[in-house]
Amino acid sequence: MSASQSLTKDFFELIKGIGEAKSKQEEDRIILQEIVNLKRILAGPSSDRGRGHGNGGGSHSYKDDGFSHHSSPVHGRDAYGSNAHAHSSFGKATDRARDIFNSAKDAAQSATAAASAAASSNMVAGGPPPLSASKKRSREFLVRLMYVEMLGHDASFGYIKAVELAASSSILHKRTGYVTCGACLSPSHEFRFMLVNQLQRDLGSANVLEASVALLAVSRLITADMVPAVATEVSKLVHHGSDMVRKKSIFALHRLHCLDPNTVAGPDLVAHLRRMLCDRDPGVMGATLSIIESICCGTGVHSRTNKSRNPTTAALYPTATPFKDLVPSLVSILKQVCEHRLPSDYDYHRMPAPWIQMKIIRILGTLGRGDLRSSEGMYEILSDCMRRSDTGINVGYAVCYECVRTITTIYPNTVLLDAAADAISRFITSRNHNLKYIGVTGLAAIVKDHPKYAAQHQMSVIECLEDPDETLQRKTLDLLFRMTNPINVQFITDKLLQFLRTTSDEYLRRDLVTRITQIAERYAPSNSWYVQAVTALFDIAGDLVRPDVAHNLMTLIAEGSEDNEEGDEDAIRREAVEMFVDLLDRPAAPSKILMDTMAWVLGEYAYLAEESLDAIVIKISALAQKPGHAPSTKKYLVAAIMKLVAQAGTCPPVATHVIDDFTRSRDVDLQQRCLEFQGMLATANHLLAEVLPVDASCEDIEADAGLSFLDAYVQTALANGAASYSPPAEDDSDDDDSLGASVARKPKFNITPYAEPTKPQHQIKVDHGGLPASNGAPNGTHGGNRPAPGPEAANTLQLRNVANVWGKPAPATGGAMPIAPAPAPTPGAGYGNPPSQPYGNPPSQPYGNQPYGTAAPAPSAGAPREMTEKERMAAALFGGIPGSGAPPPPTKGAFATSRPARTKPAPRAAPPAANPEPTPPPAPAPPAPPAPAPLEKSMDLLDLGDFSPVPHTAAAPAPHDPFAAAPASAVPPPPPAPPLPAPAPAPPADPFAGAGLLGSSTDAPLGGLANAQPPANSLFQHAGAPLRPKTLSTPEFGQRWGSCPCTKMGGAAGSFRDLAQMMGVLETTGLHPVEAITATGEGILAGTVQDALVLLHGKMGEGGRVHFTVKGTQQGIVDGLVAFCTTRLQSS
Amino acid sequence: FFFFFFFHPNMIKGVIIVNNHGKPRLVKFYQHVSSAASSLAAASLAGSSAGTAASVSAGPVPGGGSAVPVRIAEGEAQQAVIRRIFQQVARRPDSFCNYLEGSVPEWGEGVKLIYRHYATLYFVFAVDAQESDLGILDLIQVFVEALDKCFENVCELDLIFHSDKVHHVLDEIVMGGMVLETNIMSILTAISEQNKLHNASLRGSGLGAGASSLGSATDSIRDKFGDYMR
Repeated sequence: MSASQSLTKDFFELIKGIGEAKSKQEEDRIILQEIVNLKRILAGPSSDRGRGHGNGGGSHSYKDDGFSHHSSPVHGRDAYGSNAHAHSSFGKATDRARDIFNSAKDAAQSATAAASAAASSNMVAGGPPPLSASKKRSREFLVRLMYVEMLGHDASFGYIKAVELAASSSILHKRTGYVTCGACLSPSHEFRFMLVNQLQRDLGSANVLEASVALLAVSRLITADMVPAVATEVSKLVHHGSDMVRKKSIFALHRLHCLDPNTVAGPDLVAHLRRMLCDRDPGVMGATLSIIESICCGTGVHSRTNKSRNPTTAALYPTATPFKDLVPSLVSILKQVCEHRLPSDYDYHRMPAPWIQMKIIRILGTLGRGDLRSSEGMYEILSDCMRRSDTGINVGYAVCYECVRTITTIYPNTVLLDAAADAISRFITSRNHNLKYIGVTGLAAIVKDHPKYAAQHQMSVIECLEDPDETLQRKTLDLLFRMTNPINVQFITDKLLQFLRTTSDEYLRRDLVTRITQIAERYAPSNSWYVQAVTALFDIAGDLVRPDVAHNLMTLIAEGSEDNEEGDEDAIRREAVEMFVDLLDRPAAPSKILMDTMAWVLGEYAYLAEESLDAIVIKISALAQKPGHAPSTKKYLVAAIMKLVAQAGTCPPVATHVIDDFTRSRDVDLQQRCLEFQGMLATANHLLAEVLPVDASCEDIEADAGLSFLDAYVQTALANGAASYSPPAEDDSDDDDSLGASVARKPKFNITPYAEPTKPQHQIKVDHGGLPASNGAPNGTHGGNRPAPGPEAANTLQLRNVANVWGKPAPATGGAMPIAPAPAPTPGAGYGNPPSQPYGNPPSQPYGNQPYGTAAPAPSAGAPREMTEKERMAAALFGGIPGSGAPPPPTKGAFATSRPARTKPAPRAAPPAANPEPTPPPAPAPPAPPAPAPLEKSMDLLDLGDFSPVPHTAAAPAPHDPFAAAPASAVPPPPPAPPLPAPAPAPPADPFAGAGLLGSSTDAPLGGLANAQPPANSLFQHAGAPLRPKTLSTPEFGQRWGSCPCTKMGGAAGSFRDLAQMMGVLETTGLHPVEAITATGEGILAGTVQDALVLLHGKMGEGGRVHFTVKGTQQGIVDGLVAFCTTRLQSS
Repeated sequence: FFFFFFFHPNMIKGVIIVNNHGKPRLVKFYQHVSSAASSLAAASLAGSSAGTAASVSAGPVPGGGSAVPVRIAEGEAQQAVIRRIFQQVARRPDSFCNYLEGSVPEWGEGVKLIYRHYATLYFVFAVDAQESDLGILDLIQVFVEALDKCFENVCELDLIFHSDKVHHVLDEIVMGGMVLETNIMSILTAISEQNKLHNASLRGSGLGAGASSLGSATDSIRDKFGDYMR
C-alpha cells in the first residue's frame, strides 16, 4: 500500500499548509477552515448533488457552496482562498503531489505514487461522492478528524461517522472506526454506549480479526458502567482457538477487572493468568507476563473518577503473594527461554525472546524482595541469564541491566552483587551514552544498600557529572545525593548548587532545592559551612526554598557558635554579617527570603561588621526604598533599621525618610511600628537602647505576672474605698492541690508546667502535641492571646529530633557510633590506590552497619603529592565511602569528633516559628534570670506577622498585654533540662541511619531499633524524626499508593473486635486515618517522616488478626514502621 | 489475602510521534494527564499559547468519567504535554542518551521519556520507572521496523495519511499501556491478515473467504519476512 492510495487533494493541501504554518495562530486558522470543510463534507451529499459534478477543470465548487448555518460562503472562500485558487487545474495539483512525493519517497516509488495521486485527484474531480456511499472517503474523513483532534481542536461533529464506520463489514474500516472512537471520544461521551451493541456482536464474531479488533476496542472504550455488558463475552474469548485473540482477551479482561472488580473478580483473573502462563503459544505467555508484572509491581495508580459509584469499592487486588509460588515456574520458563527453546522468530538480534526474559526477571525482582527463600531459587538463573546476555548488543545489555536491577532488590547475595557491580562498571565506563545512563542508574540502586561499590567508579562518576548531557548529569546528581555522607557533603552540595545555578527547569530546580536543604541539614560539617551553603541556596533559588529553612538559619546564627571549642561565640555571626554586608553592596536585589534573612541578621549583629553602623543603616534604608518588596520584607527591613538606629544612637536622614514613608503604609502593623518608632525617636530617645537591646534575641522575655507595677494603683484605689478583689470560691481546690499551696495565692492562671519533664525532651513534646513541656505556657487559659502551636510547630519538632540525632548522639550510644577517627584498617591506601579490601562483606562488617570512616585511613595517611583536578574531585566525593581509599580531609575528622560534644540542640532545627511564645521585643522589665536551659531558651527573632497571628508593637515601652508576659517571672523556672538529653532512648544507635545510604539490608538494624522503642503511646520514629499524620483524601491516597516504590507487609495476631479498634491503635503510631471501610474491614492511613511519605493499608482478618501493608518512599522507614506497627498491634 | 488499591496498570503512559518541527504525527495517551499538574506546567511554559479553540476534546483515556470542563482542561493539558515533550527532545543532540527524566509532571513522578530520532521524526515513549530503559529503545525499533514493513519504506506522510493504520500497528504492540507483543512476525501477521481480509471483502467475496484465507496469509507473511531478522 502506498501513501497516496486514498488521498484526496484538500487533505493533502491541509497537511502542506500545516507543515508550512509559521505560527500557532496560522495553524489554528488552517485547522478551523479544515473543520468547516469537514462539516461540509459530512453534510455534503444532499447539497452538492447536481452542482459540483462534471466541472473537471474548475475549482471545487462544493467548497464555495457553504451553508449559512455553518459559515458564510464569503468567509469560507476568503480563508481558504489562497489554496483554492492556486489549483485551478487538477493537472497542476497532480504535479504538486508528485513533487512532494518525490521528495518524500525514493525515486523508485515516485511513479506509482504519482499515478495513485492522479487517481485520487480524479476521484475528487468527479465531485465528492456521498460520504455514506464511499467507505474509502469515510475512512479518510475519520483520518482527517483524528488529525484535527490531534492538533487540539474539537471535531465532535464528526464522531457519529466513526460510530457508523465501526459497524462496517470491512475489517479495515471497522477498525478505523473503533480507533477513531478510541482516540476521540472522551470517557463520558454518550457515543460510547452506542458502541456496546456493536462490540457485543463483534466479540461474538466467528472471524478472528473482528474478535481481536473488538477486544482492542474494549480495552480502550469500555467504562465501568458498561463492564457487565461485555464481561461474559470477553471471558469466553480467553479460551479462543487463536493466540491473537487469547492474548488480547486476557488484556481486556484485566482492564475490565480494573474498572469493575465486582463483575470480573480478582481470583478469577488470577486463575486465568496462571493457566495462560502455560499457554502453548509464547506470545500469549509473554502477554500474560505483562499483566502479572503490572499486578505484582502495582505500578501506576488508577483513581476512580466516576463519583457515581461507591468510591470505596476499590479493585480487590491480589498482591504479589498469590504469585509467590510461581517463582519456580517462572525460573523454569526463564531457563527454557535462555536455552533457545522458543521458536526462533521470537529471537531478536539472536537473543532469545529478550522482552520475555526481561519481564520474568522483573517479576522475580518483585517476588524476591526481602524474601530469602524465594530469592535463593533465583540466584542461579540470574547469574546464568547475565552471563548469556553478555553479547555486546543493545538488547543484551537490556537483559543484563534487568538482572542487575533484580539483584539489587532481592535478598542480597554477595556473588551476584559482585557480578552486578562488574556489569555496572562496564556500563558506566562505556562510551555509549545510554549505557552510561544505565550504569549511573544501576550504581544509584546498588549504593543505596551497599555503599562500598561506589568506590570503584570514582572517575567515571566525575566524568558523567561533567558530561554535557543534562539527563546524565541529573542522574549523576541523583546518585551523588544518595551517596552523601558527612565527609563528602561539601563537595556534593557545591556540585548541586552549581547545577542549580545553570538549569532553568522549574521541576528540577525544586527538586534540587529540596535535596540541598536535606543534605545540608543532615550532614553539615560545621555551622559556618551551613550558613554559607544555605545563603548560597537562597541566593540562587530563594523563591523555591521553604520559609522554615530561613528560620532555621536565623536561629543558628542567633544561637551563635557556643558549641565551638574555641569559644568564640561571635565567629559565625561575624562571618554571616560580613557575607550579608557584601550582599548589600550588590546592585541586584536578592531574593525575598535572602533579603528577610539578611535584614534580620544585620539588624541583630551588624555591630560585628567592619563597616560602621551608620553606613549599614544607610544601605538598608536605600534597599527599603526600592519598590516591590513584599509586606513582610518591608517589616524586616524597617525592624533592622530601627535596631541599628537604636545602637548607633543617630538616625541618618535617609532612614528617617524611610520610616516616614512607611508611616503611610497600607499595612497597619508596619504603620504602627513606624509611628511608634518616630514617637520614641522624638520624645524618648534614651529608651531606644532599652527597647531595642543589642543581641537579645535569645533572651527570655521577662514579664511581671503579678502585675506588681499596678500595686500602687491598687493601693490608691483601696485607700479610696474600693472593694478588694476576692478570688473565686475555691470549689475546685482539688485541682489546685497538685499545684501546691504556693501557687494558690498566685493569679488563677494555670501557669505551671503541665508535667515535670521526667522523660527525654522530645518525647514529652510529642505527648503534648507539639508544645514544649518546659515552656510552662498555659495555653488554654490564655485563649486568643497566645497562638496555638500550628503546623509549623509540628514541623519544628520533627526537625529538632533530626538534629538531636545527628547533632549530639547520646554518650551511651556514642561508643558504638562509627565516627571518622575510627582506626583505619588499610592505612596504606592512598588516593589512587585500588581498595585492597575484598568486596565480599566480611562477617564482622555487615553492610548495614558499616561505618563510613572505617575503611578510610587516618587523615595523616600519606597522600600522593600531586593529584589531577579530577582525582581531587573524586577524592572529595568519595571520602568516607568504605573501600574508597580516600582519606577524609582532616578538618572533617575533627568535626566529626566535635559534633557529639555539642552542648546545645542543633539550633537550625528549631525555627522560631515554633516558638510558642510570641513575645514582644524586650520590655524594660526586671532583668531576666538566665535562661534555665538551652532548650527552653525563648527566642524572638522578629515578631512579625509571619510568625505569629498576634501583631505586637515593636516599641512598646511596657507590656501592654500582661497575659502574654505572665508566666516567666511569676513562676519559678522549671527545673532545668539536662544540657544533654543523655538518657534519650530513642535516637538510633547509628546517626546516619536516616541517610538512606545504609538503608535496609535485610538484617537491618532499623527493625530491631523500632522494636526497642518504648511501647507506650510514643509515636513511630525513624532516625529520630517522628512520624507525623498526613492528611490525604482517599483518591490522593490511591494515587500515592501506586507511586511508592517501597513495600513491606506485616501482620499481627491481636484480638481486635472491630475495625475502629484497629484504626485506633494504628493512629497511635502517628498516622492519619484516611478512611475506614467497615464493610470490608479495611482501613488506610497516611503519614510522613520528614518528607518521606508512608502509607498503610490494614485489613481485619479472621479471629481478630490484622494484616497490613506499608508503602513508602524510603525502604528504611517502611521496614521500621512495619516492625513498629507489628509490636504495637500485638501489645494492644 | 487481598488488599485494595486504585490501579492503573499501564506502565507506558503514552506514545507520541512528532516531527522535527514539532508537528505531532501520532498521539496516543494511555493515561490521563492530570489537569492540576498541567496548569502548573502551563504557567511555567513560556509562550505556550492555549489555542483559540474553545472546546477541545479530551484524550482517549479509558476508565472513569469526567465532566466537560475537565475535558477541555485535559485537551489543553495534552497539547501542553506534546509541546513540552517536543521542546525537551528537540534540543538534545543525537549523541546524547535517549532518556529524559522528570520533564512531564502531568503523568506523575518517575515518568521518563524514552525516545529515538529517525530522520525527520521523533518516536517518544513515556514510561514509568518499572519499564526497562533499554528494552523500550528496542521496542521502538520494533515498532518502526513494523511500520516500515507495513508501508513499504515508511515516510512521514504515511503516518499522516494513514494514521489509522499506524494506530493499528501500535495496537498490536502496546495494549492498554502494557506491552502486548514484541515478536515482529506476529505483529506483521496480524496486520497483513487484516489487509487480506479487507481486500477480500472489497472484492465482494465476503467474510467467509477472508476467514478461510487466514491460514495462507500467515504462511505467506512468514515466507516474506522469514529472513527478516537475520
